[in-house]
Amino acid sequence: MNVIEAENLSKTFRVKRKEKGLQGSLKAIFHPQTEAVHAVDRISFTVEEGEMLAFIGPNGAGKSTTIKMLTGILYPDDGAVKVLGIDPSKKRKQLAYQIGTVFGQKEQLWTHLTPYDNFRFFGAIYDLPDAEAEARIRELSEIFELDAFINTPVRSLSLGQRIRCELAASLIHKPRVLFLDEPTIGLDPVVKENIRSLIKQMNKELHTTIFLTSHDVGDIEKLCKRIVIVNNGKIVLDDSMTHLKYHYLNKKIVELKLHEEAVLPQLAGITVLKQNGGHVKLEVDTGIMKINDALRHIDAENMVDINISNIPLENIIMEIYKAEGSSLKRGPLDGNHLKKEGL
Amino acid sequence: MSTAVKNELRVCMLSVKYNIMREMLNKVTFLTNILFMALNNATFIVQWVILFSLREDIGGYALRDVMLLWGLAASTFGLAHILFARAFSLPDLIINGKLDAYLVLPKNVLLSVLTSQTSVSAIGDLLYGLVILCVFSLSIGRFFLFVLFTVTGAVIYTAFALLMGSLSFWFVRAEMFAGHMTSSMVSFATYPDGIFKGAVKFLLYLVIPVGMAIYQPVHIMMDFNAGRLLAVLGYTLLLSAAAVFVFYRGLRRYSSSNLMEARG
Amino acid sequence: MKKYAVIYRSVLIESLQYTANIAMGFISYLIIIFIFIHLWDYMYGTPGTLIAGYTKEQMIWYVMLTELIWFGTSSNTVTRQASMDIRGGNIAYLMNKPYHYTLYILARYIGECSVRLPMYAAVSALIGLTMVGSLAGFRLITLLAALPCILLGITIHAVFRLCISLLSFWIEDANPFHWLYNKLILVIGTIFPIEIFPEALQPLFKLTPIYTVCYGPAKLLIDFSVEKYAEVLAAQVLYLAAGCALMFFIYGKGVKKLYVNGG
Repeated sequence: MNVIEAENLSKTFRVKRKEKGLQGSLKAIFHPQTEAVHAVDRISFTVEEGEMLAFIGPNGAGKSTTIKMLTGILYPDDGAVKVLGIDPSKKRKQLAYQIGTVFGQKEQLWTHLTPYDNFRFFGAIYDLPDAEAEARIRELSEIFELDAFINTPVRSLSLGQRIRCELAASLIHKPRVLFLDEPTIGLDPVVKENIRSLIKQMNKELHTTIFLTSHDVGDIEKLCKRIVIVNNGKIVLDDSMTHLKYHYLNKKIVELKLHEEAVLPQLAGITVLKQNGGHVKLEVDTGIMKINDALRHIDAENMVDINISNIPLENIIMEIYKAEGSSLKRGPLDGNHLKKEGL
Repeated sequence: MSTAVKNELRVCMLSVKYNIMREMLNKVTFLTNILFMALNNATFIVQWVILFSLREDIGGYALRDVMLLWGLAASTFGLAHILFARAFSLPDLIINGKLDAYLVLPKNVLLSVLTSQTSVSAIGDLLYGLVILCVFSLSIGRFFLFVLFTVTGAVIYTAFALLMGSLSFWFVRAEMFAGHMTSSMVSFATYPDGIFKGAVKFLLYLVIPVGMAIYQPVHIMMDFNAGRLLAVLGYTLLLSAAAVFVFYRGLRRYSSSNLMEARG
Repeated sequence: MKKYAVIYRSVLIESLQYTANIAMGFISYLIIIFIFIHLWDYMYGTPGTLIAGYTKEQMIWYVMLTELIWFGTSSNTVTRQASMDIRGGNIAYLMNKPYHYTLYILARYIGECSVRLPMYAAVSALIGLTMVGSLAGFRLITLLAALPCILLGITIHAVFRLCISLLSFWIEDANPFHWLYNKLILVIGTIFPIEIFPEALQPLFKLTPIYTVCYGPAKLLIDFSVEKYAEVLAAQVLYLAAGCALMFFIYGKGVKKLYVNGG
């Protein structure tokens, strides 16, 4: 079953434009010039129940505008959207009972209260009867292991503990869809890992559909099976994570440490990225040359160390952002085209 | 009362309670804020003692009447800022897109917004008003009227702030305007209406709602009149309805807004 | 000294861009003046009456001038901004800069007032001349003579308010003390001239900042005399010196406390 259905979803903002100088300022008072910016431009996608989806894109690509339209904060100009079968712009309140939101930068907890009091507060917001709220708090505190600090004021908790409470609080009403906006922003690697595993657990044990936006490639890579990339208001890629890697990971990075500096052969499919004495970094395009063929061209006697790795996902995503940016100058390019052509 | 309404009110009460609890974390600051605000108001007694030493009646008011006026103005201001402090900083929420957080909750947006902040010094104002009443003109009837008018006055004052603040849905520059308009209400509320003549009185009933929030209640407490009491109650309902209507019209604009400049 | 002039200049230019916002403040100023015009109209009743030696026109002009100083100097820089710098820890970065923090704040404040004060002065002159009438015996030379007193007055005002803000080194919220100082200035010096108070109290008021901040400059403008002029100027110089000494003392103590306790 689809929990989110968006069809040709569009939102256009008008941005005021002003010419330079005093004359421009005066002109703007009498004849304000505005410019249309297509923040979200005919986006269509569906999300199935229980999916974990990464919704990513560079700053200003239209991610948060889309989330705002999915949660009923912003009304679309055009197109249709249904979340859990509900039109968010028409029945925002009804939808609110069934979805949860966590914004990494914004705290929703009262810091002078204990997590327990906070949960009771959110229980009241979602009209949970006392008995049900109690039961739910017990359940969540078990899953998120909150027992040790459930009665300590939030302001005395560590950042990691706080985020765990934030997540638990957003689940008090058993939302079927959870919108996570940059949930791990500003956290140290250990806490990040901890939060990721909790999100995973949440998805698995509670079957919560998770709609995640993040700039952190680690979040995306470790959590999501499906990735949707938006840029300039359009979806430029909607693919499974394995498919994405399979398509874009035909390039390998080979790092070598050699006894003495050597002249490397000029061959199609091998690009020297960096060479500094005995340290060499190569990129091998396995579509042109197999990795074992490439290695055959290197003198094994001379080799001290070797490391073969994939191109980091981060670079792939950056390439996709860039490709879309430059394609704009040439004219609109749809996502499928890009997918077929590769990079 | 339906369960939905009960639940709404329960959440609002919790919000106010938790807001005050947060301020009470530092007890010294909490108490000095309250005490000094009361003292602050009390300094104006000097002004009126001086003025009344020059003339025995000012605009038809004696000293104790002006004190009653001052007391009601303080308690009205106090109650509004204890319960609905956010009404007075609404433009900040609108301009900086901070209403989003309230829009994803399944509760009444307006009530959640209004009760999301409290002002501690306002407790000092409310207490000052009650003390002034007790010192200068206490009677059982007047006490109940005073409490009633504190509530209607606070509602009128909040509604006015809400109306002015909602202008920010349409005009970015309206933030400062709203602030000056709401504070002008306090300025008028602390002077007897008898010193104003003719057309100015219309201004105080039609443009700045200080007439129905403060002046009429003081007259009713000085000389009871049931018809006027009903007029105050009716006006309170009417102005609140208008404010709620305008806020939701603005909220619709906020949600369908295509002016990015106003949103950040 | 040159660096403070540069700070002053940049704040001045910055403030010039906010003239529309400053002009919004005219609403509150006009309403206050409007109320006082009605109040004194009522108080004076029949024409020709004198109250505490002031004619009605003098009384209203007095309030307009003191309120002008009040509104023209209402700036967050010496109050909330300074408190926030200290409570928020920003002070740690500011105090290691090659200027004295308090003088830096004062330079900013004067920069803001240089825009606000003339704007309010223009409005006061306009409504004063149209709604109140001109002052008997007022000459332009009086204004020029009183100008240094006004400038000294607003500086003293800022020094005292900054002293209160500096208490933030020790207390969480300096606001309540600002309220009390403000009320002293407002109730005793701004809405009434000192002469209206019982004679026994008047010498006492001369010992408070009221005399140098608002009463002195306003009095000179509406009723100039050379003796009064010399007296006010002398008092202001003394006050400024004492205020600055107090300010440097509190700041020094505060910084020392910061070094010992780490904020």
